[in-house]
Amino acid sequence: MRLIQQVKQQINIWAILSSMFILVILLPAMLVGKHFFAKPNENWLHIKEYLLLDILSNTLVLMAMTGILTTAIGVSLAWLITVYQFPLRNFFKWALILPLAIPPFIGAYTYHGILNYTGVIQSTLRNQFDVQVEQKYFDIMNIGGAIFIFTIFLYPYMYVITKSFLENQSSSIIENARILGGNSIEIFFRIILPISRAAIIGGVSIIALEVINDYGVVKYFGIQTFITAIFQTWAGMSDLDSAFKLAGTLMVVVILLLLFEKFARGRKRYSYSTSKIRPIIPKKLTKSKAMLASGYCAVIFCLAFLIPFAQLFLWMVMTYDKIVTVEFFGLIKNSFFVAAISAVIIVIVGVIIANYTRIYQGIYAKVISKVTVIGYSIPGAVIAISVLSIFVALDNYLLSVFNYFQMDPLIIFRTSIIMLITAYVIRFLTVGYNSIESGFEKIGNSFTEASKTLGVSTIGTFFKVDVPMVKGAIFGGFILVFIDILKELPLTMLLQPFNFFTLATRAFRYANDEMVSEAASASLIIIFISGICIYFFHKISEKGSEK
Amino acid sequence: MFVMIENLKYQYNKSTKAIIQNFSLKIKKGEIISILGESGSGKSTILRLLAGLETPNSGSISINDNVIVNHHHFLPPEKREVGIVFQDYALFPHMTVERNIKYGLRKMSRIQKQQRLDEMLQLVRLEDYKNRYPYELSGGQQQRVALARALAPAPSLLLFDEPFSNLDAHLQIKIRNELREILKHTNTTSIFVTHDQTDAVALADRIILLENGSIGNELKPSELASTNYMLQYRTGLRI
Repeated sequence: MRLIQQVKQQINIWAILSSMFILVILLPAMLVGKHFFAKPNENWLHIKEYLLLDILSNTLVLMAMTGILTTAIGVSLAWLITVYQFPLRNFFKWALILPLAIPPFIGAYTYHGILNYTGVIQSTLRNQFDVQVEQKYFDIMNIGGAIFIFTIFLYPYMYVITKSFLENQSSSIIENARILGGNSIEIFFRIILPISRAAIIGGVSIIALEVINDYGVVKYFGIQTFITAIFQTWAGMSDLDSAFKLAGTLMVVVILLLLFEKFARGRKRYSYSTSKIRPIIPKKLTKSKAMLASGYCAVIFCLAFLIPFAQLFLWMVMTYDKIVTVEFFGLIKNSFFVAAISAVIIVIVGVIIANYTRIYQGIYAKVISKVTVIGYSIPGAVIAISVLSIFVALDNYLLSVFNYFQMDPLIIFRTSIIMLITAYVIRFLTVGYNSIESGFEKIGNSFTEASKTLGVSTIGTFFKVDVPMVKGAIFGGFILVFIDILKELPLTMLLQPFNFFTLATRAFRYANDEMVSEAASASLIIIFISGICIYFFHKISEKGSEK
Repeated sequence: MFVMIENLKYQYNKSTKAIIQNFSLKIKKGEIISILGESGSGKSTILRLLAGLETPNSGSISINDNVIVNHHHFLPPEKREVGIVFQDYALFPHMTVERNIKYGLRKMSRIQKQQRLDEMLQLVRLEDYKNRYPYELSGGQQQRVALARALAPAPSLLLFDEPFSNLDAHLQIKIRNELREILKHTNTTSIFVTHDQTDAVALADRIILLENGSIGNELKPSELASTNYMLQYRTGLRI
């Protein structure tokens, strides 16, 4: 009886809508799978023989080295900020997150601009001190330079995840270790690193996915990776089949990475603390050690935020009268428009799926929940080629229908913004969904159940109780998605309609055309808006955790 | 009989053993029943099955001659007219006391809603608190709002899941007595689940002892009070 009743209860508007959304999310992966096993063409054989090994090794080196270095920086900063008291600690606590506002590709061209022959360092040395330097020491347009850029602009992921993990640990762990005679370094390596393993692995996997997905840095530095190869085979050689094969190979790398994460994390979760924890009270450092701690934080903050920000500001002052025109305001409008529309769609879809998986527990709901979060693992370029081929097929079909009725087509999807927005929704749904799901998790099911027993239907309950109670999480999800889309590059580059540019794509185009100072205004707007959002998000989540 | 529960069985999906089995109970109109049992004995599951928040594997439930669940039929919670007061009260934090109480009165006109609100506020003696939010109330006041909210739509059956567990001892005694008065005054058929036998004795007309998911024994409150049944029950002695 229960099985039949449960099946009956499972078939409802929430299940139908969620299933439809999931199908859309799965389409790119299915399409990649289909093409991956199709018969290869000559291009692919060439790529496989001469390029694939380099592409693979570059991607793996970038991922591994960035993973190691961001772990070293992110975990050490999180440890210092959580456990010790030193000058400017409260400022660094949130300031060290700010580099997240700078997309790595903007960081890449800014640092290149600072370090190259005409940059501020070499010109100062040459003009003020008459010092000529060896160019090779200032050349960052190589794999080492890319690792540096990824490390300083992506370490905040590791810092934020590890810090929030450590903040939820009971001080008794560290106090016990101290009583048992451990010094700070011993405690860090023997206690903190092992207990933070799951958080660190979670951070590494997010950073690795960001590195895999990057187009701007590697393209600007001339490093061949999967994403640049996909761009070349598709946009340069118009070979969609080989692009799909590269995408398929990249997906294998992503799947291996996710399996590694699952295996390495084991059964441990980010946090296994209870509500009874006694939070860690920061210990005051001696004067010299405090100076060292402040100095370390200051160096990282300067490298990852202050220096590039100052350079961009100078460039903006030099070029704004030339750049800030009516067209520039059009860029701002475009960026805000696509980011806002996509973020609204994403939170609506996210709320529907999260509400379904919460209320109707069962295997199918679990599958839906798992599938929803895979979008973020699929690199933007892979989503882009899949979405494009789907819309091209749709256009062709519609064209034949209109031809049959001897009508002009009402819409051509491949040149419309719908295609770009669809791709954003697939790529960033995970970000919005995770925020909303954690909001639902916090409120539990009893309010919904109370509403139903008071005679209000599931849909009525959704609007009167569920949505108002998770509106903070919905807003948080909207902001996170909005920032991500504002900074997004590869997907937008591939799918933006003709003559439609965003701040990010225009900044990249300027930088790529060796007009780095002209790229500053657009970049600073991205950084400024992202920075404000990150600051408020950090303050709100800090307030929430204090309650 | 007003409420008829017959051969109810419920097993959690991942469990190998049924938490509720062969559970049958008949309740008269206006009667107050306490289901007494230890943690994990399935007390709350019975309430969830009655409210429609879980689907039984087998068995049937009918209220006032209307079948709400059986082999072929399952009435969703919003159509059952069964009220529930949750252990944590589940008051909607974004609504005032007034809006919380009016929440279940959708079918009434504006004037009727206002009248019912006033009646309920008077009943639970919270007339001066209608514009407050739940977080501005004490534990006892929250409990009374939860009761008023559940009573407002005049449910056929009212369920209470450990309603006093969040209250201190002094408040517990006061509210317990008030609650019995209110339920008797409104002639509301009610089921309480509790692990506290003093609650059961003070409130109920009849006490059901739950043993391995089915009814172990039925007692009058006076019998339970005089024999300290639970102590014997736990040590393996039977009356």
